[in-house]
Amino acid sequence: MQALSNTLHELKLYRRMVGIQIRSQMQYRVSFWTDLLSTGFLNASYFLGLVLVFQRFQNIRGWTLGEVAFLAGMIEMSFATMDMIFSGFDPDTFAPMVQMGTFDQFLLRPMNITLQVFGSQFFLRRIGRMIEGAVIFGVSLSLVHIAWTPAKLLYLPLVLASQVAAMGALFIAASSLTFWTVQPFEVANIVTYGGVEAMTYPMTIYSLTLQRIFTFVIPFIFLNYYPALYFLDKPDPFGFPIFAPFLAPVAAGIMLFLALQLWRFGIRSYTSTGT
Amino acid sequence: MNLFLRIARLSLRQQSTYRAAMVSGLLTNLFFGFLRAAVVIALYGQKQAVNGLSLRGALTMIALSQSLIAFSMIFGSFDLIRTVYNGSITTDLLKPVSLFTYWLARDTGQAIVRLIWRGLFFMLIFSLFYPLSLPERPEQWLALPFVLVGGWMVSFAYRFLVNLAAFWTPDARGIGRTAFTVSQLCSGFIFPLRLLPDWFSKALAFTPFPSMINTFLEVYVGTTRGAAIWQALLAQLFWFAVLTFLSQAIMRAGIKRLVLQGG
Repeated sequence: MQALSNTLHELKLYRRMVGIQIRSQMQYRVSFWTDLLSTGFLNASYFLGLVLVFQRFQNIRGWTLGEVAFLAGMIEMSFATMDMIFSGFDPDTFAPMVQMGTFDQFLLRPMNITLQVFGSQFFLRRIGRMIEGAVIFGVSLSLVHIAWTPAKLLYLPLVLASQVAAMGALFIAASSLTFWTVQPFEVANIVTYGGVEAMTYPMTIYSLTLQRIFTFVIPFIFLNYYPALYFLDKPDPFGFPIFAPFLAPVAAGIMLFLALQLWRFGIRSYTSTGT
Repeated sequence: MNLFLRIARLSLRQQSTYRAAMVSGLLTNLFFGFLRAAVVIALYGQKQAVNGLSLRGALTMIALSQSLIAFSMIFGSFDLIRTVYNGSITTDLLKPVSLFTYWLARDTGQAIVRLIWRGLFFMLIFSLFYPLSLPERPEQWLALPFVLVGGWMVSFAYRFLVNLAAFWTPDARGIGRTAFTVSQLCSGFIFPLRLLPDWFSKALAFTPFPSMINTFLEVYVGTTRGAAIWQALLAQLFWFAVLTFLSQAIMRAGIKRLVLQGG
């Protein structure tokens, strides 16, 4: 009972922290809208490039524009959602807190540290990218015919949630590393932003080495590619077991668990920069 | 001129101290380069050439565009915006060089370091993994340094012009992000323009964007030849002149209305 009321209390605090963030960002309305638009445009231009290049090539390893748009739309929507919820764990915003020592403030407050970092930032402008992802997803639905079944409709939100959790795990892991490096660990961009780009395309386009990395090191293949095969009713070229499309929640769960372990270990071994 | 060289040299030295950032930037470029290369190889499939461009040529263009990211600051720069917002532009305005010359000098120093670390090293490492082509004809080798510098000049003038928005609005960063997004797609960075539809590249001929990246790629791979090379170089100079002229006029108006808060 005590534990439950504690959790409820912390959730209330989290809601207030995020509420404050949102209120303060909405104070500058023009800034908010230009930020939202520019964030949307930024990622749209890459998809626009893809649309233009498909005018000449028609398909990539047998995947049509509509099918690639399915991959792109899914991962854009979920990455943008993650980028908003996990704003506090964005290595670019978290590393300066370690650098300047403001992270120490979290340690002094009588509240769960992880929840505090969650509530420390909430970039509402990421909605721009979410809309962009939804538009690409809409383009995909208009170009390919998906034979929807109740199972597919139920699994779709679960896949999106898994992608959010998995990419959030990568943010947490990258931020944890800054406890040791102090500098933002820039190579982490390879797995976060690089991961999004990698998951925009069917896995068959990559070399064997990259395919193995995306399967066994960071299981991107189960987060977007295999679910897409299931939704689009495409055959599996790799011959994985038939449950492979349903591993997205499992992969996300493992990634989140490992990232949180690293995060706790990082906090335990954290020594302030003293500034 | 002496002052220009001195600012450039200081900026070069400053840039050289960030070794770790250079290495991690290089690794990131390599990874994205591998992804882009995989996309282009898969797009080509069995095709030998597309719009006069061989797969080897396309891969070379992909590699070159990655190698120019830091040199031409393809993702944009926001330094001038920052100095307007934090007020340090006052000290820059007191310097015995114009704002444009000052930033051009700083950019020169940075660009030299980045061309070697992020450009040359990138090409060397990347060529271990993928078959790339080298320019074959002497005219290409003769023209390449010029179109490389020309592209950088156009890109600098464009970035400077975009940064001037800070004089009018507190949202210049958003405007910058949008402007640099447009230039990424239209300069041939995301995909070489030759692989995009003809109507698109024809329309772009009336803009400065292809001069920034695509011109260098085409001359290097050899898809732009003979007199066309010198026409492309002239186009670069033309756009540098236009953008610089525009930015001078806008800068003067901007500085006039600049009000700095103390503190």
